[in-house]
Amino acid sequence: MKSINLKDNQFIQFHQKISFKFDGVKYFGYKGDTIASALLRNNINLVGRSFKYHRPRGIYTCGIEEPNALVQIISEYSEPNTRATIKKIYEGMEIESQNRWPSLENDFGSINNLFSPIFTAGFYYKTFMGPHKKFWKNLYEPLIRRAAGLGKPPKDFKGISNHIHHNVDITIIGGGINGLLAAKSFINSNYDVLLIDFEEQLGGIINNSNKISSIDNKEPKDWLKETIQEIEDSKNIKILKNTLVTTYNYINHLIAIEDRFVGSKPIEGKVNSTLHKIRTGHTILCNGHIERFLSFQNNDLPGIMLSSSFEKYMCRYGLAPSKEPVIFSNNSNSNSLVYSLIKAGLKPKAYIDSRSGEEIEPNLFDLIRKNDVPLYTNSQIKGAFGNKKIEKILVEDSSGALNEIKCDCLCLSGGINPDVHLFTQSKGLLDWDEKDLTYKPSKPFQPTITLGSASGQFNFDNLNSDINEKLKTFKVKKLDVKLELNTNAKYNIEKLWEVSPQKKSLWAKSFIDLQNDVTTKDIRQAITEGFDRIEHLKRYTTNSMGTDQGKISSINALGIVSDLLDKKVNEVGTTIYRPPYAPLSFSAIAGRNCYEFYDPERKSPIHNWHLKNGAIFEDVGQWKRPWYFQINKDESMHDAVQRESKNVRENAGILDGSTLGKIEIKGEDALEFMNLIYTNSFTKMKQGSARYALMLGEDGMVKDDGIICKISDQHFIATTTTGGAATVLGCMEEYAQTEWPNLKVFMNSITEQYATFNISGPKTREIMKKAFPNINFSNEEFPFMTFQFHEFNGVPIRILRASFTGELGYEIYIPSNSAPKIWDNIQSVGKEFGLAPYGTEAMHLLRAEKGYIIVGQDTDGSITPIDLGLSWMIGKSKKDFLGKRSLTRSDTIREDRKQLVGIIPSNKTDKLEEGQHIILDKEIKSPVPMLGHITSCYYSPTLGHDFALAVIKNGHSMIGTKAYASTSSMGTTGVDIVKPVFYDEGNKRLVS
Amino acid sequence: MLIINCPYCGPRDQSEFSNGGEAHVKRPDGSKEIGDREWGEYVFIRANPKGLFYERWVHTHGCRKWFNCVRDTSTDEILVTYKLDEKKPNLNNFKSVVKTPSGEPEVGSGNFTVEK
Ligand SMILES: [Zn+2]
Repeated sequence: MKSINLKDNQFIQFHQKISFKFDGVKYFGYKGDTIASALLRNNINLVGRSFKYHRPRGIYTCGIEEPNALVQIISEYSEPNTRATIKKIYEGMEIESQNRWPSLENDFGSINNLFSPIFTAGFYYKTFMGPHKKFWKNLYEPLIRRAAGLGKPPKDFKGISNHIHHNVDITIIGGGINGLLAAKSFINSNYDVLLIDFEEQLGGIINNSNKISSIDNKEPKDWLKETIQEIEDSKNIKILKNTLVTTYNYINHLIAIEDRFVGSKPIEGKVNSTLHKIRTGHTILCNGHIERFLSFQNNDLPGIMLSSSFEKYMCRYGLAPSKEPVIFSNNSNSNSLVYSLIKAGLKPKAYIDSRSGEEIEPNLFDLIRKNDVPLYTNSQIKGAFGNKKIEKILVEDSSGALNEIKCDCLCLSGGINPDVHLFTQSKGLLDWDEKDLTYKPSKPFQPTITLGSASGQFNFDNLNSDINEKLKTFKVKKLDVKLELNTNAKYNIEKLWEVSPQKKSLWAKSFIDLQNDVTTKDIRQAITEGFDRIEHLKRYTTNSMGTDQGKISSINALGIVSDLLDKKVNEVGTTIYRPPYAPLSFSAIAGRNCYEFYDPERKSPIHNWHLKNGAIFEDVGQWKRPWYFQINKDESMHDAVQRESKNVRENAGILDGSTLGKIEIKGEDALEFMNLIYTNSFTKMKQGSARYALMLGEDGMVKDDGIICKISDQHFIATTTTGGAATVLGCMEEYAQTEWPNLKVFMNSITEQYATFNISGPKTREIMKKAFPNINFSNEEFPFMTFQFHEFNGVPIRILRASFTGELGYEIYIPSNSAPKIWDNIQSVGKEFGLAPYGTEAMHLLRAEKGYIIVGQDTDGSITPIDLGLSWMIGKSKKDFLGKRSLTRSDTIREDRKQLVGIIPSNKTDKLEEGQHIILDKEIKSPVPMLGHITSCYYSPTLGHDFALAVIKNGHSMIGTKAYASTSSMGTTGVDIVKPVFYDEGNKRLVS
Repeated sequence: MLIINCPYCGPRDQSEFSNGGEAHVKRPDGSKEIGDREWGEYVFIRANPKGLFYERWVHTHGCRKWFNCVRDTSTDEILVTYKLDEKKPNLNNFKSVVKTPSGEPEVGSGNFTVEK
């Protein structure tokens, strides 16, 4: 195909040259060129290899509907699958073709084309089944992955996008004639209007074709300039250009993506694209139509393109891709291409129309006659032939004779479809138009208005009345626009979906989906095999499942299927068009919610101290908690945890417990409320005392635990697990509002307002005395499970005597801002007593030695307090609390429920692991009855061996017996089932 | 994304809210004897109709208030929202408002985009 530059225009200036690289070779284009127009200018027609058969492919369209010309933009983090027909070039742009190896001209994968008779519909489903399931993972999948697909994933992607929200009365999608007229109606009205167009310039077919000769007696381009100026001057209308609406959600919620660097290289660190989230009262769809192709043998050869696309290259890019294209059409839409060619001093090599001479528009006839264009009416193209490009076509004329025509370009038109994607996304209904042979919007489901060709009005006769009628509800001024056409024709089309090949051959291919390499033969085969429902057929053949969603071909597939099944197209139905309209990068969806903002980290007020003191962190929900502290770089986690826990047992340790959830509950009826929320009874509890409490779900299962401090009957402070804080507060609020609205009670989270230090170990009292000299920490003055308010250096603090380690311990609650200072003070006074920080892992080990559970580790939402052996925590005299009734359900009183027990290896040197199953037999003979599993397991420096907590069936009555833990190597380890307490069973150290 | 009309704050985006399942499910009075079946139904059984449905929502990232609504589960349309202490609206009042996007054609392979 030899292209020719026409006159330059306002979009392309021939004096502004731009250089770019395609597959490593330098070429020149002009400012305003897309990759496709620039490649065509350089007579490059082969731009990629197809998905499955690796067939040579060229540029098929001039817009977003492009199925073939997908390229990799090396100069933009190697962005793959970019449509060459919309991406603008810039100086220094580097582009590569896709899906070829070693080169585009000599592609090894094209051997697939030879084997193509076996790659038919369902090939993968049928072939890669056996002989062993490992074959899929190790052989088939890697092979298929290498061979198939389009571009390669981008590298080191650093794109930045942002999100902008809009709240408007009216959104007009599409800035063509109808969009502009609609916008014009709203100039200086009281409506907030958003006008969105995908292109850089508004105008639609005024820019893309020579269809219109004048508007209001003005040159179309002059009218356009004036109208855009008027709209821009109107204060109530905002125009978004380079913005594609991809999604039409419920309640008129639209998603649109704006390219911020059209025609220039995105600047690193700057926002590349903006995702617009639009909420609108009404949506006016003026997004036009899409031309479809036709199926015949080798309809995928480079050099074949849609006729309206050819015209768009001429009008917008000042470029005729070929000097003498052949035109093949079944409708009147390609008339204007003939007009444009002749106007530019060019001439079609031949005009072939499947319609009869009487149906062809008279003025087209005149034009063709006057210019001696060979005309074939009642004729069809049987096939196109050539090596990597179109060289000749075979035409069957009205007499049935075959004519060979040499050509370098073929323009196709199979009719036009309203672009109904957005309309169907909005859940509007479509209806098949038997005359125009396309689906058209019928009933909208939302406040959606369609205008122009988007509504199926392919002629301009009713332009004014249609807009005036549909915009009546807005009471805006009426339009009276006078429009003259160059090709004065009513849209006319004759049914033609496919031309069968001249010679039947296994290798003959008529494509129905260019991007996914689906042939019309695949459609036939799918129907023969019973996949005759359109949604099944789509998935079985992958028809219209590419990134283009079959924009130029899906209606043709419906037509072929309806003929094969001898059904009306309406009965065949259509597959559902799903958002997004065109691929949308993940970076745009993520917006600023990425990198450090993806899942914000929560840090305790002591975080910086941890950083300086060798803390290795663990994620607990969003919190960063010290997991353990390394005293030097060589210390292993095991060694650190052993050292930390030993130190707590022998001296004293300090844990940053600031992440624990803290909820303050206040109000006249706070006591009654707490009695209803937790299993425990708080009625007889003394003021200033604290209690370990459980919260259940209504199903009776343990949901959270914590310590409740009773300040008075009207004032409590509850702690929750780190991960459960939000859920517990939510649960309290829900019940206070929905079940017990009569109770006067209020609750609020104070988690971040207070830091918490847990100090425990035999030397803790000495440290506390030194750190807070004005407080009496004696057992009599400050007994176990009590708390006191104090002031320390002007800071109000609360100290609770409680312990999660089994040692003497205190928890100090300090307003967050004052916490680091007090933490430092405790560190310095504690030094002489051997005080050392410990992390969550040592804390877990220490609490497990005492048999204290962790909700979510030792419980899993199917464990009741009774299963845990915590029946003493249930306020049995209470009439009601969350989940009370469930504790006597037939399921919860079963004897063989899984219950919490302790496990130690019978041979003390044996190791145990979390997740091991507990079984009764030494030998593993399947099926193995499983009793339960180990939920927590550690090596205890105090005991000198491994120990574990487990939940096993009927566990409580098995205490004292022996069992086995299954190992990953199909063996077993003998274990003793014991009480889940391994240390200081009498709690002497706790209350010392 | 839906717009939900919080009875306290006004219309807001759905992302500010959390769904709380069926509304008007009464928690049995704990001070009285409750049968296994009655309690079991309260804990485990919820209606799941296609069509009009009383539903609870909470304005999680807003006023944190719970409220009720009537939602058409076939269209997602929320027909009315009301405070917890307000009387529940009669579903018959909404019959005329119910729309199904497409009906369910006998032919057309379960796609609902084509008018029958
Ligand atoms: Zn609210």
